[in-house]
Amino acid sequence: MNKKNIISLLLLVTALSIIIAGLLPTKYTSGFDFQSFSTLPVQANGRLCPLDTVARNTLLLSSGKQTVRLSQGAKLDARSWLVEMAARPEFADSFPVFRIDNQEVLALLDKKLGEQKYFSFNDIQPVFETIHREMERINPESQLQTPYEKQLTKLNNALTAYHRLIHSFHPMTKNSSDLLDEYNTWEQITKNGFLEIQKQQNGHNFDPVIANKFMGFSERYLTLSKIASLGILPPRKTQTDDKWLNIGQILMDAVVDEHINPIAYNYANMSAAYAENNPSLFNATLNDMHTFFKPYTNSFKIKFEAFFNSYEPFYRSILIYTLAFLIAILSWIVWGKTFQKSAFLLTSLAFILHTCGLIARIYIQGRPPVTNLYSSAIFVGWGAVLLGLILERIFKNSIGSCVSGIIGATTLIIAHQLSLSGDTLEMMRAVLDSNFWLATHVVIITIGYSATFLAGMIAIIYIFRGVFTKNFTPNTAKTLSKMVYGILCFALLFSFVGTMLGGVWADQSWGRFWGWDPKENGALLIVLWIAVILHAKVGKYIKDTGLMLMAVGGNIITAWSWFGTNMLGVGLHNYGFMDAAFKALIIFILSQLLFIAIGAIPKKHWKSNI
Amino acid sequence: MFEKLYHFFSSLKLTVTLLIFSMALVFFGTLDQVNYGIFEVQQRYFKSIVVLWQYPPQWIFGNVLQYLHIPMLGGYTIGTLLLINLFVAHFKYYNSSFKKSGIMLIHLGLVLLIISGFLSGFLQIESQMWIKENSKANYSQSNHYNELVIIDKTKDEIDTVYAIPENHLKTNTLIKDSKLPFNVRVIHFYENADIAFRSQTPLANTQNIATQGAGLKMDIVAMPIPKSYKDEVPNAATAYIDIIDNEGDSIGVWLVSNLLDDQFPPQRFTHEDRQYEVALRFKRYYYPFWLKLNKFSFDRYPGTEIPKNFSSKIEIINPVKNEIRDTLIYMNNPLRYEGKTFYQASFGDNEKTSILQVMQNPSWQLPYWSVLIIGLGLLIQFLLSLTTFLKKHR
Repeated sequence: MNKKNIISLLLLVTALSIIIAGLLPTKYTSGFDFQSFSTLPVQANGRLCPLDTVARNTLLLSSGKQTVRLSQGAKLDARSWLVEMAARPEFADSFPVFRIDNQEVLALLDKKLGEQKYFSFNDIQPVFETIHREMERINPESQLQTPYEKQLTKLNNALTAYHRLIHSFHPMTKNSSDLLDEYNTWEQITKNGFLEIQKQQNGHNFDPVIANKFMGFSERYLTLSKIASLGILPPRKTQTDDKWLNIGQILMDAVVDEHINPIAYNYANMSAAYAENNPSLFNATLNDMHTFFKPYTNSFKIKFEAFFNSYEPFYRSILIYTLAFLIAILSWIVWGKTFQKSAFLLTSLAFILHTCGLIARIYIQGRPPVTNLYSSAIFVGWGAVLLGLILERIFKNSIGSCVSGIIGATTLIIAHQLSLSGDTLEMMRAVLDSNFWLATHVVIITIGYSATFLAGMIAIIYIFRGVFTKNFTPNTAKTLSKMVYGILCFALLFSFVGTMLGGVWADQSWGRFWGWDPKENGALLIVLWIAVILHAKVGKYIKDTGLMLMAVGGNIITAWSWFGTNMLGVGLHNYGFMDAAFKALIIFILSQLLFIAIGAIPKKHWKSNI
Repeated sequence: MFEKLYHFFSSLKLTVTLLIFSMALVFFGTLDQVNYGIFEVQQRYFKSIVVLWQYPPQWIFGNVLQYLHIPMLGGYTIGTLLLINLFVAHFKYYNSSFKKSGIMLIHLGLVLLIISGFLSGFLQIESQMWIKENSKANYSQSNHYNELVIIDKTKDEIDTVYAIPENHLKTNTLIKDSKLPFNVRVIHFYENADIAFRSQTPLANTQNIATQGAGLKMDIVAMPIPKSYKDEVPNAATAYIDIIDNEGDSIGVWLVSNLLDDQFPPQRFTHEDRQYEVALRFKRYYYPFWLKLNKFSFDRYPGTEIPKNFSSKIEIINPVKNEIRDTLIYMNNPLRYEGKTFYQASFGDNEKTSILQVMQNPSWQLPYWSVLIIGLGLLIQFLLSLTTFLKKHR
């Protein structure tokens, strides 16, 4: 085997090991079956999901990560953390899961910027009153908040989610035997206690001790029912809705049933087993629970979602896309043919992984691929990579692989940033609740974004190679010019049709085809810009370089349309807001302007002669 | 001369210039929506001949940049010029070959789209219908336009409504018309005002201008405030009107405002054995039928406040057509009835009132035709390009 073949093989093996590594199940040395725990079904945020999702999303919301680093250096994954929250809440309260970066918020805790980044519930507890007072004062509209107020609101939301989660498994007691005592006492008192309360209300003689005890428990569980955020028991047969019951409601229902539903005991016993270091009891209880839930859920789908969470297909795709991008660039310097083939192979592998992730989301959510800002980022990348792969197959010059690699990686990184604010598989808002339009208008316009970014990226490569490298030939330049022109035609087709479909949907939904709202205006700008480019090229007002510069301009317009319009806080399309994203958008726009400026340098200063 | 005009209006340069101008119009209009709301920007930018954009003083570096003004051609101007450009260019480049058919269709469809835009601008009427559960409504009202009404309530079953549109209500004018039962002198008209108890305002030491009605009885006065541009916050049009009989004598001065809605007792008076009511209210559009709200539902996803569906169970009662039937209006599913479309827009009053958006636009089908024609044209053009490309790269 010669050197080239060995390197190619090495690259392939690297990519394959990234893909396969995620398939290996996590090894837990303690004997506790955390995997089984993580696939318990619950109802959270209006949908059925595994505890795994709840754990990861809550952690992402508070710390931006899916793991917890303890002060002793040990690392907890999301599943283990959630077990601690359920079984040893006082201990969990000492874990540093709240990330604070804002100077003024840190000041509330007497900390300076850089001293400490992650804080525990206990660390923050002393200033709860201050936070509460501030939250009363702060304007709930995020556009009108200062950065400090935005960060404090974010912290408050994370604290609330944490508080509600930790109370979702059982009422708080000193230890697990106290909990079981409480349940036993409550069961015994439900029948008599209710009778005594009735006697009291009818003005008859009643036993005040029993009555007061009953009221005490009732109030405790009523409060609990308002806090607990997870539905842990499927709806009763007598319910008309599909709402799962939380622990507070289950305990209150004991009055009607004269016993507490076994699920509450299951959670209590499981927590106790963990706290007392009894893996076999822990695992056995979990088995019983899974058997119980079987008739109420699609356990395959629940388990699949937990697997999907832990596999992290998009993270792995980012790695392989980046590798493909680097190899593609390398192919222009040395070993052209070999690296071109490798780059194409790597991009294809990453694309397959990316596609699997996309399909998995469609399966879990039961919706077309684009339903919120997060999924739009996943799909924009997917569309651009697909087009890039087709280009590579036709032209075989590593351009396709290069742009696919960089766009694939970048959009997935953007997606990751967008995933930090909540459940990415969230339920659709009422006005968006139309699978037909989601599958047509949204998908088509997103493909339009993909194509515009692809053309812009190829244009950047044209500029870069022309200005900074010596081996950019006139033939390659002509080819790139054809690519960009063709892709822009494609982009115009999809952007225009997508925008028109949006008008039709708006007419069906809001009563008017076009309302000139910011998102509609943004889409119109993309269509107009590409129309300007194509008309200018036909009229020969611009040549190849002009085409490239304007294509890079398309990146700016598309970024404005995709993200900028959401930041204005205006109009019917205003359902995705962000804060720090504004800075990122400005930096992106400046970078594109820089590329345009470089490309505008007169040809005689370019290193390549085209 | 004619040659020069023809050359100018058919040129590709004009097209490119107009497209760039329209991009600027759309972009700056969007920026202004932050401060002026969608409705105001529609009027200023898209339903206008020219418009001037000013850097908002409230934005960063505003104290210096506020002097930056950019004049632009308005929507009507650009639309008209584009239409002319498309028409004239069509004659210049007309070629009946199949190869050009795609482009022809695309541009034809665009002409239709621009025309539909103009028509919508002129013909579209947008209003809202508020219906309480278990009650019915036969009118909808505008969010932006007001009317001064004098209602003859003498007969029991019939109200005769004399409506004076807002644009006639200017401070210090006399409204005289043979159709009106009275003349109306507008003493003051405010686009937006607060209403407060006179004793709690700086006007406490002056006499109340109102001599009749709520103004006098509740001792309230109007304090003008700046116009609101927030789409969710309507302007409280308010006025002091002097009602003058046919002999020229004043019957009285009333304080009227769209803030004094049906939660307040109506302002009525008697004159020569006839009973009248006077009010300033959002402009109403009456219909020859009733919509009765039997039930409004706000379904949420279990355990959350995320809206899953809004729906109104409506009963249509049309005495003219002798029609009584049930229907359901919900998200993405409007009721199209009698040339108007009723959408589930919002709700109020603790989910006991349904708010329907009523759209009237006789040209509503035009965009659909335009989309179809352009879509066909794009498809032909794309397939032609694709086959050419594939032939070359076989």
